[in-house]
Amino acid sequence: MNDEKNRNIDILRTGPFSWLKRWSARWSLWPCHFVTSCCGVELAHASGCGYDMERLGTLTMGISRQTNTIIVEGTITRKMARALRIVWEQMPDPKFVNVIGACGQRGGIFWNSYHITHPHTIVPVDFFVPGCPVTPEALIRGVRALQKKIEGEDRDTIRFKKANLQFKERKKNMPPTSPKLLAPTPLIRNDIPGGVGWEDGDELVEMVRSRLKGLTASITVTDERRITIRTREDEIKEIAKRLSEIGFDHVKSVNLVDVPHEKKLILEYVISGYSKSLMPILITLTADIRGKYDLPGLSDIWQSADYTERELQDLFGVRFEGNSWNEIFMLAPDTPQSPLRKSFRLEEEEYILKDGVPLTPHIDPPSDLNAPLPSGVLEEVEEMGEYLVLVGPHHTGSGHMRWIMRLDGDIITEIIPDPGYVHRSMEKIAESRLYIQNIPLFERLCIVDPVNMNLGYVRAIERALKVDVPERAAYIRTMMAELSRIGCFIYDAGIFSLFMGHSTGFMYLWAIREMLLETFLRITGSRCSPSFILPGGVRRDVGDDLLDLIGNLTTAILPRFKKFEDIFVRNPVLLARVKGVGVLSRDEAVRYGIVGPFLRASGVEYDIRKIEPYDAYDSLGWEMITADDGDSLVRFLVRLEEMRESLGIVSQCVDVLKGMRKGDVISEEILGDYQEGSRDIRGSLYRVYGNLVLPRGEWTVLTEAARGTLLFSIMSDGESNVPYRVRVITPSWMNLRGLIEAARGERMADFWAIYGSFGYFPPEADR
Amino acid sequence: MTGTVEALINLMMADQVAIPLLDPILNILYGIPLLGHLLALILWKPLFAALICPGFATLGGLLMLLPWIERKLVARIQWRIGPHEILPQMGGVIQLLADSLRFLFQEVIVHRDAKQPYFLQFPVLSFIPALLPLLFIPAGTIIAIESPYGAQIVLAMVTLFPLFILGLGWASNSRFAYIGTVREAFVYFGYEIALIVSAFAMIVLYGTSDPLAISGMQQVPGIILNPVAALAFFIASAMATSRLPFEIPEADQELAGGPHVEYSGILFGLIYVISYEKVYILSGLMTLLFLGGGSGPEIRVLGDLSGLIWFILKTLLVMIALIALRAIYPRYRLDQALRIGWNPVFTLSTIAVGVSLMEVLLL
Repeated sequence: MNDEKNRNIDILRTGPFSWLKRWSARWSLWPCHFVTSCCGVELAHASGCGYDMERLGTLTMGISRQTNTIIVEGTITRKMARALRIVWEQMPDPKFVNVIGACGQRGGIFWNSYHITHPHTIVPVDFFVPGCPVTPEALIRGVRALQKKIEGEDRDTIRFKKANLQFKERKKNMPPTSPKLLAPTPLIRNDIPGGVGWEDGDELVEMVRSRLKGLTASITVTDERRITIRTREDEIKEIAKRLSEIGFDHVKSVNLVDVPHEKKLILEYVISGYSKSLMPILITLTADIRGKYDLPGLSDIWQSADYTERELQDLFGVRFEGNSWNEIFMLAPDTPQSPLRKSFRLEEEEYILKDGVPLTPHIDPPSDLNAPLPSGVLEEVEEMGEYLVLVGPHHTGSGHMRWIMRLDGDIITEIIPDPGYVHRSMEKIAESRLYIQNIPLFERLCIVDPVNMNLGYVRAIERALKVDVPERAAYIRTMMAELSRIGCFIYDAGIFSLFMGHSTGFMYLWAIREMLLETFLRITGSRCSPSFILPGGVRRDVGDDLLDLIGNLTTAILPRFKKFEDIFVRNPVLLARVKGVGVLSRDEAVRYGIVGPFLRASGVEYDIRKIEPYDAYDSLGWEMITADDGDSLVRFLVRLEEMRESLGIVSQCVDVLKGMRKGDVISEEILGDYQEGSRDIRGSLYRVYGNLVLPRGEWTVLTEAARGTLLFSIMSDGESNVPYRVRVITPSWMNLRGLIEAARGERMADFWAIYGSFGYFPPEADR
Repeated sequence: MTGTVEALINLMMADQVAIPLLDPILNILYGIPLLGHLLALILWKPLFAALICPGFATLGGLLMLLPWIERKLVARIQWRIGPHEILPQMGGVIQLLADSLRFLFQEVIVHRDAKQPYFLQFPVLSFIPALLPLLFIPAGTIIAIESPYGAQIVLAMVTLFPLFILGLGWASNSRFAYIGTVREAFVYFGYEIALIVSAFAMIVLYGTSDPLAISGMQQVPGIILNPVAALAFFIASAMATSRLPFEIPEADQELAGGPHVEYSGILFGLIYVISYEKVYILSGLMTLLFLGGGSGPEIRVLGDLSGLIWFILKTLLVMIALIALRAIYPRYRLDQALRIGWNPVFTLSTIAVGVSLMEVLLL
């Protein structure tokens, strides 16, 4: 590795014209378009019009052959490691590698994940930029430092001095340690009765019971609008069939829970229906599986379960009957087998300093850098006279994943997705951390929509603890969530316009996003990862000056957005490209499990904010936007109109908050003995939340994130202060299937029109 | 022997680039033995045209400048600054110098599956159709080869261009290059006829295809005489030079560069530059056919250079118009571009022929 590392600098330092070589390499650092993880968002900001990295002569270019820099954006998963190595090897000498983000160094927040690796074991690294995510300033500084290194100034890092910190009252200043309490043989139940006061519940339960007559099924109302049906494994299919006849037409989540001390796996299908009467109701269809790993699959009844079943096959080493997929789907070939079973243990955290340096978690570099094609595809393609195109993960228009495209001429016959390139194994990591530590973790699901991710997780905890949020906090949360939704739409629209070859649209939107992130920075202290929402409220109050700022923001966005609309949305070329492309009818959209604005674009009126209102949504005036066409254009326009509604919600929240008396922003029940933190939690965060224990049971909560329904399901044993199992189903994951189906039969170039209109974001999907 | 040299020198002296402003200095320089001869050689109109303008030197200068202009212009439209830090005093104007030097010093990778001899040849070979047309395009009164069929020859050379792109895409032997190559071939069929027919309309109008005569005849520029032909020609040029909205063979987000996806180092540098060369040639042709070539208010002291300057300015204007499209339009799909090429643009160019015929018959 050292030879490789020095080779590039040696090339520049030796031979005739070496000064010219150095000068030209320095001012022409072209990074290749290779997004490896979520820091790519900030890379986009660095090259967007706010920071404009092109000033330094860097021009992001499509493919490795014509570039000379790799900017490794954060996490390198074991699957992505192969791509990184190949990209590096394809690049002509001299070449350089900058690693940005904390997870590229020691693993950052994902340090004990089973699916990440350290980039410096894969390729020689010239420069590390810390941050999670890094700010564009830091990133540009990294590029500057690389330039200086090429010039010959070997090191331009800040030389850290060893500080001698002395705490006078050491015990008081240190956060109280919260050792993990792990119950050795916890009692895991997902059908604990609860949910008193649900009027229509009994009626529905009676109806379901009558339909399931003759089958083993114990029906429990676990919470308001949550029903659990426990059955035997051999009858689950029959029950599923009957439920699908009543109108439960899609699967929201498939879950497995490993209970080794009882020698069983708990299988769960969370199902729901899009008909008006069934809308907010979730039925958890569950069965205990003992002593075998062949599970009854339901993907032939509900196709929306297909990809989720495939994922669980990887994570638990099981096999779903009826699922057509027999191979590895999410994970790299050399990942530990069935990592989500309890028998696979993650490294425990240790804050030990050895010679002043924290111990680096031990991670083996991947031994097998192989990413196999699904077996039989090559032969089949040859037989049919088609050809294969592998798009990504190193491709300008692939995002962080690989699309295996089968083309017949210019027509896409099938796309086989190859996700998992950004699978950071959040569900497993969450089992090793305290509830409060998981807030920043789950925010990294999607750092372009952080508040909604945060809200989804926090609301699951609140639902378990039955905590109410103070009114002021509810409004602040709504406001923040909507700002995040706007930011996410602007991100997706920018990527969409880039996919359409329209870089101007991208830049105009990035200018708006820059303002938005600046606002986030001032409110919460972070651009992309605020961690602002806590169980029972928000971290601190938002003052009047900040409210003024947000109010101004909402009025400042619109005129700038109009310029974008003029140049992009009303562009005749765009209309020709996206109208009537990738059409999904209502039935198809429901069948493939599409969620969120993309489902509404196909004519289903379903928005969690309307049908199961949370926070302050039901006290504000706004409309649910729906459309019928279901093509790429409409999917985009629905989100565009939603952005206008969101702006309306934000300005209403600002007005309400300004008129409201300043008060508590965290619920008293949560604070307990530490009431001084009611307006600002700083100083008592760990004391309040360190030993949070959820009551026994499973708590499933739906949240409307920017791209659709976000499902968080926390299973607690009632004794441990870490979750027993957290299941996250993100909107992008659910939309993947629909995206694939919408692209079938379209032209190759249309794939990007469809991809862009779905706003598909692989880090969110891969978790 | 001396007779032939004398005759040659006389021939050269009879056809010198006349610059009244510099006459006193030139007269002194002519007197110096070897330098004088060299100067006379360079200022000999055909050689001047090939080497200085519109040939090599101007081409080189524009190629160094054009990508910078593009990046700066697009950056301005996009609320950015563009290349800057490399030379802050002059807005980073030498950015392309750094880029091209970097390409020059970078490794050239020929991957295992490539058809090696062709892979290496084609980027170099494609300079032939890129350079030859310059011999037939006059900058004012300066032209390398006078031919009564100048316009046709330039068009023929220009339409030869895609063959070389097809060649290098084929030699790359990669999926993306392959798709890009096929797309290039399709787009070629889309614009070629419209381009030729709209130029033909102008030749009908002027009654001659001698470039010098064409630029001499345009007291009223061709774009006013036949705006339909100008429009068709402009759209066809945008397709021919793969500018957005017709950047279909390259399509960065879809094909990651298309035909040249596998090229690296100086070979890619050449290809990168060739696309701009094509822009230069087609803009020159458009200037010649529609904007009156080198005609313009004459600056007497500059003599022949006056026409040359007008020519360069007009060409630059057309080039910038072609480049600015990038910041305004998204990309069409292949079938849509073909439909546009075959239907509206081809119809426009046919109408243009009709307009020309009417004007010729009536006026």
